[in-house]
Amino acid sequence: MTLERLRDGRLREPERIVSFVLGMCRLVVLEIRRGSWRREKLLATWGDAAEAVEDSAVLGLDADKLAACLEALAERERTVVVMTFFAEKSGDEVASELGLTAGNVRVIRHRAIARLRGCMGGGAS
Amino acid sequence: MTGARCAEPIEFEALVAYWVGELPSAAEAPIEEHLFGCAHCTRRVEELAALAHGIRAVVRRGAVQAVITPPFLEFMKQQGMRIREYRLAPGERVACTIRTDDDAVVSRMQVALAGVKRVDALHSLDLGDGHQRQWRVEDLPFDPSTGEVLALPSAQELRKLPAHIFRVRLVATDESGERTLGEYTFAHTPG
Repeated sequence: MTLERLRDGRLREPERIVSFVLGMCRLVVLEIRRGSWRREKLLATWGDAAEAVEDSAVLGLDADKLAACLEALAERERTVVVMTFFAEKSGDEVASELGLTAGNVRVIRHRAIARLRGCMGGGAS
Repeated sequence: MTGARCAEPIEFEALVAYWVGELPSAAEAPIEEHLFGCAHCTRRVEELAALAHGIRAVVRRGAVQAVITPPFLEFMKQQGMRIREYRLAPGERVACTIRTDDDAVVSRMQVALAGVKRVDALHSLDLGDGHQRQWRVEDLPFDPSTGEVLALPSAQELRKLPAHIFRVRLVATDESGERTLGEYTFAHTPG
């Protein structure tokens, strides 16, 4: 959308294009991170040494602490969080698999993520 | 672009909705526009990315136990995870294990769930040393239409245990009390 506006000369603050490009670069990096599943699988199969290094920290997160924080969640919260982030399912998809309403799932998800971030030492809005 | 705090930060829940792709494109566009120019909110997306990455990693390493769904189990298989499954009818006992090449073990407890509002699980772990550990897990997530409850134990924890007997009693609870839906026995030997 921003690109379309730029092409049409309708961008309100064209000087912000530098920020736009930098932001886009960040999002591309995020997409790469999201697509890192294949790399994780290869590491799991072949990279014992690398795995040992990654065990203690996952992108800056303490994996043991994260597992403990997940364990501290209520059963429903843990299921919703795992379905959301492991399988990247939307609230609607999670709801249909658990026989809940999408609104209910979003409430559970919101509470669970807040507890998880708090447990991990983050959580500031 | 500075790291200064954003005057109107995007709600974290909105970022989660954006992350899992549940927003209509009309709602995505303003979020993306904001992120393009806001280092503060972009960092929060990065926090979200780290959380998602971490959760994927700990689940795949078997560090997390959870109640899951049949489609989720299929997703795990599609991702190449090697899953050992045990399907039990109420009252059944199964000899089970986890081998070194298993990524996870899933127990599929068959149970009639029609009309059930809430399911709790009463767990009993007998290590054969004269001590039995019992605990209750409340309010399991379930879809009544599937007729089963799927439990994914932590593979890491399971591998630490010696031979043992693990019993699960699923109970339906409501205002009138509780009734047993089924009992399931897992006779585990190390792989």
